[in-house]
Amino acid sequence: MENFLYLFSGFRWQDALDILLNSYILFRLYVLFRGTNVIRALLVICGLWAIQQAAVSMGLIITNWAMQGVITVAALIVIIVFRNEISTVLQTKTLKSFLWKIPRHQFNTPLNIIIESVFELARKKIGALIVLPLKQGLDSVAQGGIPIRGKLSQEMLVSIFWPGNPLHDGATIIQGERITKAGVILPLSKREDLPSFFGTRHRAASGLAELTDAMVIVVSEERGEISLFQGNQTHTIHNRLALGKLLQEHTGDDSTPKGVRRQKIELFAIGLICLLCFTGIWLRFSNGLETLATQEVPVEFINPDQNMEITSSSAYNVNLLVSGAKPLINAIKPEQLNIKLDLSHSVVGINKFYITRNNILLPPGIRLKKIQPAEIEISMDALIEKKLPIQPNWIGNLPKDLIMKKAISIPATVQVTGGSLSLKDISTIFTKPISLDKITKSGTIDVVLILKPASLKLQTKNTVQIKYIISKKSS
Amino acid sequence: MKMILISKSNNPLLRGLLIFIALGLFFTTDVSSELSNTHIIQAVMCESIKNHRPINPAVVFSISLGEIYCFSNFDPVIKTSYISHKWYKKDKLIFTIQLPLYPPKWSTFSRIQFRDADKGPWRVEIRKADNTLLKTLRFSMVD
Repeated sequence: MENFLYLFSGFRWQDALDILLNSYILFRLYVLFRGTNVIRALLVICGLWAIQQAAVSMGLIITNWAMQGVITVAALIVIIVFRNEISTVLQTKTLKSFLWKIPRHQFNTPLNIIIESVFELARKKIGALIVLPLKQGLDSVAQGGIPIRGKLSQEMLVSIFWPGNPLHDGATIIQGERITKAGVILPLSKREDLPSFFGTRHRAASGLAELTDAMVIVVSEERGEISLFQGNQTHTIHNRLALGKLLQEHTGDDSTPKGVRRQKIELFAIGLICLLCFTGIWLRFSNGLETLATQEVPVEFINPDQNMEITSSSAYNVNLLVSGAKPLINAIKPEQLNIKLDLSHSVVGINKFYITRNNILLPPGIRLKKIQPAEIEISMDALIEKKLPIQPNWIGNLPKDLIMKKAISIPATVQVTGGSLSLKDISTIFTKPISLDKITKSGTIDVVLILKPASLKLQTKNTVQIKYIISKKSS
Repeated sequence: MKMILISKSNNPLLRGLLIFIALGLFFTTDVSSELSNTHIIQAVMCESIKNHRPINPAVVFSISLGEIYCFSNFDPVIKTSYISHKWYKKDKLIFTIQLPLYPPKWSTFSRIQFRDADKGPWRVEIRKADNTLLKTLRFSMVD
């Protein structure tokens, strides 16, 4: 028990939120794709991933390599093959059903109307083909049809299949409480094992049931017999109770106490599995082998006085020795580590700051072991203005017979803003080096001023004009 | 001007006060003139000095010259005093020399020898004994 509690020793409320959030996302994905082939395919991929992990731990290099490829291809195949199911799930769902609702396959389908209609058609020996699709779209397999989108009623359904009606030959699709299409052409089954007395209507029903998750009800014209096709199964229906039960199972409208309880248990079990999965993942992250790493983190200075500037710091980066599970350590990004020093109480001169855990922002699951250096000295300076003369910085060489008699800067001085300590020893602003090599006569030149240290700021533009006078040298 | 004012006053108390003020003004003027009457009439950087005259005054000099002169000429010089030539490379003080000035007028100079490493912008500040700045001469040492 103590060992179990030790596993959760570093458990924070953020971890609980993390686990619950991800568990719920996984749970919702299951709920949305429940009953489709996508879930089965994803389970297969999970199985392949487990094999790959086992191969890694056993050192099976080729198996690991092959499994990586297979998983990648399998993921692509799932998207391509089950695109209809995926798009049907995504298109028919509202935001509420995405986040909260437990969807039923054929929600609100008035089963009694279907049952009564089917038995009336059977009694009158009127042939009928009724399709009740689930999650899988029919667009890729069923063709044609006339959109109706009418509310389902016994009279309407019977009238569609009434002999002589132009739509009576095709299939009628019922979704929810509406007849969406009639006169739809279904693919014929190629099965050899179907009874010989099954006609085209039965073969079409079987063909669609084989290819999709839809349930198809057929009323035989000759015998007045009711057949029900689902997957590869064929049911012959003798009474209303049997049809009602099968329809309830198909539509998920299992509103009996037993059915409701079974659904609740199923969802609870899935929810629990999701929770356990992510708790396991969290334990793997948080209780993996402890890894130590040193991270160099730049120091950020916050809340500086607007009339002061930082002239120097004993350190601009601090080394943090951190520990945590290896995956978390490897996943650390530079922007996740932060050291902030509050300069709001700093004064002109040298200020000492001690870096503590409160100054450091670490990503979740990472622990701080050591701070190096733990103390930083920062020199602060008050900003002042100073008027400084400009001096040209000549380089190169004038021709031997010439001299530069005079050089005047326009303007002669500039207003400089900077730290008082920095400006204390500065009495001249120099220009960038100006070459004399091409100068043979008097003229003017525009030059850029150099500010050292770079923290100094000019009140005006940093270009000045230098006017120079050249004359012949007296021997 | 001040004496005329005193002679025209008949009030002995006022006369005494004006004499006191006049004497004060006289002595104040005398002390300040001792400093301000040292007038610099010429200050240049030059390649050499011949017959108390600067040769080739300029603001750019080749390092190959070996040495540079800072020439300063004062007129009038009321009484013997001192000035200093302070040589700076960029903003760093390299060399200071104190030079005497003698009445009634005086020209004086300082010089400095340069090596290849001394290339760059320089300035010479000419200051009085009380450190008052008289003139700043800016020049560059080049190839």
